[in-house]
Parts: sequence; structure tokens; C-alpha cells
Amino acid sequence: MLSYLWAGMIMTSVVFALGSDISDEINNTYANQQAYHFKYQLSSQQGQASFIPGNNPVFFTVNEDKQQLVIDSDKSLPLIWQHIAHHQSVEDKTQLVLTITEINENKQELTVRLPEVHWVKIRAITKAAFNMAEFAVKLAIGLAGIMALWLGLMRIAEKSGLIHYFVKLIYPVLHWLFPKIDKNEPVLGSISLNMTANMLGLGNAATPMGIKAMQQLQQLNRHKDRASDEMCMFLAINTSSVQLLPPVTLIAIMGAGVSELLLPIILATSASTIAAIISAKAFARMRSN
Amino acid sequence: MSYSVLVIPILIFMIIGFGLTKKVAVYEEFVDGAKEGFSTAVRIIPYLVAMLFAIAMFRASGAMESMITMISPLFELVGIPPEVLPMAIIRPLTGSGSVGVLAELIAQYGQDSIIVKIAATMFGSTETTLYVLAVYFGAINVSKTGYALQAGLIADFTGFIAATAVCLLMFI
Repeated sequence: MLSYLWAGMIMTSVVFALGSDISDEINNTYANQQAYHFKYQLSSQQGQASFIPGNNPVFFTVNEDKQQLVIDSDKSLPLIWQHIAHHQSVEDKTQLVLTITEINENKQELTVRLPEVHWVKIRAITKAAFNMAEFAVKLAIGLAGIMALWLGLMRIAEKSGLIHYFVKLIYPVLHWLFPKIDKNEPVLGSISLNMTANMLGLGNAATPMGIKAMQQLQQLNRHKDRASDEMCMFLAINTSSVQLLPPVTLIAIMGAGVSELLLPIILATSASTIAAIISAKAFARMRSN
Repeated sequence: MSYSVLVIPILIFMIIGFGLTKKVAVYEEFVDGAKEGFSTAVRIIPYLVAMLFAIAMFRASGAMESMITMISPLFELVGIPPEVLPMAIIRPLTGSGSVGVLAELIAQYGQDSIIVKIAATMFGSTETTLYVLAVYFGAINVSKTGYALQAGLIADFTGFIAATAVCLLMFI
């Protein structure tokens, strides 16, 4: 299932990007090859020109060899020029470089062409793929520090017996969710800490504890190459997580407005957690039959 | 006033304090436990790259947007504002993406609109399922994830329906 979803996203995006670029090409969305004529006025090195498609004068500088005009891309340009500037293949999107195809210095008339724009979506997905691959490593390295912090604290809590007391407290719930796990397995400690952190909206504490729990579940797993029922149950609960306090990011975006959403969030998470537990149990039964 | 900022410092204080009373060598144990942090993070990288680049391509291609336009009439039919659909689709895929969607909706419709309330409830009530899946199974090098994805997505879907229903009942 995961590999179909994964492959589906990649294949769809390539096909879709290709289709939308071909349709741009057919409709000539970016007016490639179109020539623009306009009159210009020169004042020393910087010229001022007003041209047919737009209403505002555009200031430009002429390259030394008088082959190219460089203009700043801003809101005063015609909309299509802004699109071209935004989607052109050069790195610097703030400038448009126009190629002069004809110049009549007596009449002060110019004919220019804009850069051609092709493969907008194909370039976009390629860039997105590389950027995200890079970002994934940054994300993981960032996680390393937070993981170290919480795993360190967890080790202390484990040695001092704090986790043990905690597990005792919520063991009835844990036993119902994970009936096959023995009462004294340390994994129950990690699971309960992870669930508590999730409930309190502490995402960055929940992740290291969840990873620890997965590693301990893997030790109990009889088929090391595939997910056990306990892992699937744990993951399902994690992705739906009952939240008593809203996640920190939501508080940051919504500010005080978040307080009236507390009850809806608790109700919605309860519904999704119940669905997670029921579906995980149902899938487990289907797999064992 | 928000008391949630107190949770983590108090938790850290309690863990260390309790450790001290039980005569645990707190510093040594902390370092010992923390050692695993880096190796685990490195082990996750390939899984994270696989997941994140696919999602990023999917978003950048515009395929997701046209998917949203395609199914939004269905949403209207059952009385759900179609504006919240981007949140429902992006939420299981990317955390930062769904923050962006929420911010856009707030800018467009205002904090007090029912659309923002539904979207924020959706955001608050589920996790980034695919990210959690990649990280958790990546950490143990398991790529056969069984029915974890299915169960997670069913939970997400239920959460979205519940979020919409609760908000429509409470705020309209």
C-alpha cells in the first residue's frame, strides 16, 4: 500500500507536469517568440521607455553592446511579463533581460523579445525533489539533538523507576491496546510516555519517545522485516493522537483564538483515535485469519 | 495566559529531581541514553528523503490542486465547505505545508470564519501521518509497513469528518 501511494505520487506528478507543460506549449501561455515594439527616450545612461502593452513607463539600462535591455520585474509590468519573469529559467527572478532584435536610433524605436519560457512544471518538480532531499537531511540532523535530549532524560526516568510507576498507573489501557505485550516489558514505558507527550501537545518530545518505543517493539517482533500488529496499532494511535492541549504550532498561528477550539479538537481527536484503534484491531484480525 | 510553557521545564525538573532522590548517576545516565540520538537520526534519513521528495514533487506539479478542484463539488454536496479541502489533503502529507494552508486561510477568510475554525480543528486533531510513518519505521529499518498506513489514514479521515461536523454544530 505504502509503495503504491509513494509511486503513485511520483508518477502522477511527472505525468501531470509534462501534460501541463505541453498544454502551455500548445496554447503558448508565455507568448514565446512574440516581438514587442515601442518608442524609447534616452537620458544619459538610463533610458525611459513607454511601450504598448503596459501603461506605465519602464526604466531600463542598455548593455554595452546594445544587444540587451535589463529591466526590473515589478508590479508596473504587464501581467504576462511578470509571469515570464517569475517562471524564466535564470536564477535571478527580479530582472528581465530583453533581447533587442531591431533598433532605429533616429525614430527612437525598439523591437525586443522576452526570454522564452519552457518546461515550467517539469523544472518545478525537479527543483522540489532536490530541495526536499536536502531538507530531509537537515530535518533529521535537527532531530538528532532533540532525540538526544529526550532519550537522555528518558534513561534517567527509567533508572529511577519513575516510568515504572507511570506505566502501572495506565496499565489497564495499555493492556487493552497491546494485549500481547507482557506487563514488565520496558516498551510499555516508552509507549505511555509517547502517548502522554502527544496528549499534552508536545510534538518534539513525543517523536523521540515514539522512536524508542518502535525500537523496543522491533525487539519483540518475530518477523524483523515487517511491521508487527503492535507497531501498526502504535502508529495508528500516534497519527490520530488524543490531544488534551492543542499542538504548540497551532497556538502560535491562531493565538488566543485557539481557546474556543479546545473542545472541538478534543472531540475530533477522540473520534479519530477510536477509529484508529478499531481499524487497527480489525486489520490485525484480518491478518491473523 | 498560557500555562503550557511550564510543562517541559517542570517535567525536566521532576525527572532529574526524582533521579537524584533515587541516587541515580544522572549525568552519566543522561549521556548514555543520549548517545542513541545521533545514530537514530542518521538511520531515518533515507526514509525521510524518500517520503519528502515524493510529496514535494506531488505538490509542485500542480496535480494536488487539480485533484482538489475535481473533488470539491462532492464536498459541497454533503454540506462541507470545499475551502477546507486543501487542509484535509495536505495534513497527512506535510506538517509545514499544512501550516502554510492554515495561514493562507486565515489571511483570506479571517480568524473567526467557520472555514478557519474547521481547518484549525483538522490541523489540531491529526498528525502528519506519512512523516510519522517514515520516521518511526525508518528508525527500525522496516519498509514493509503492514496495515499501519491504512489504519492511520482511516483515523485521519474520521478526524476530518468529526472536525467538520463538530465545528458546524458548535459554531453555526
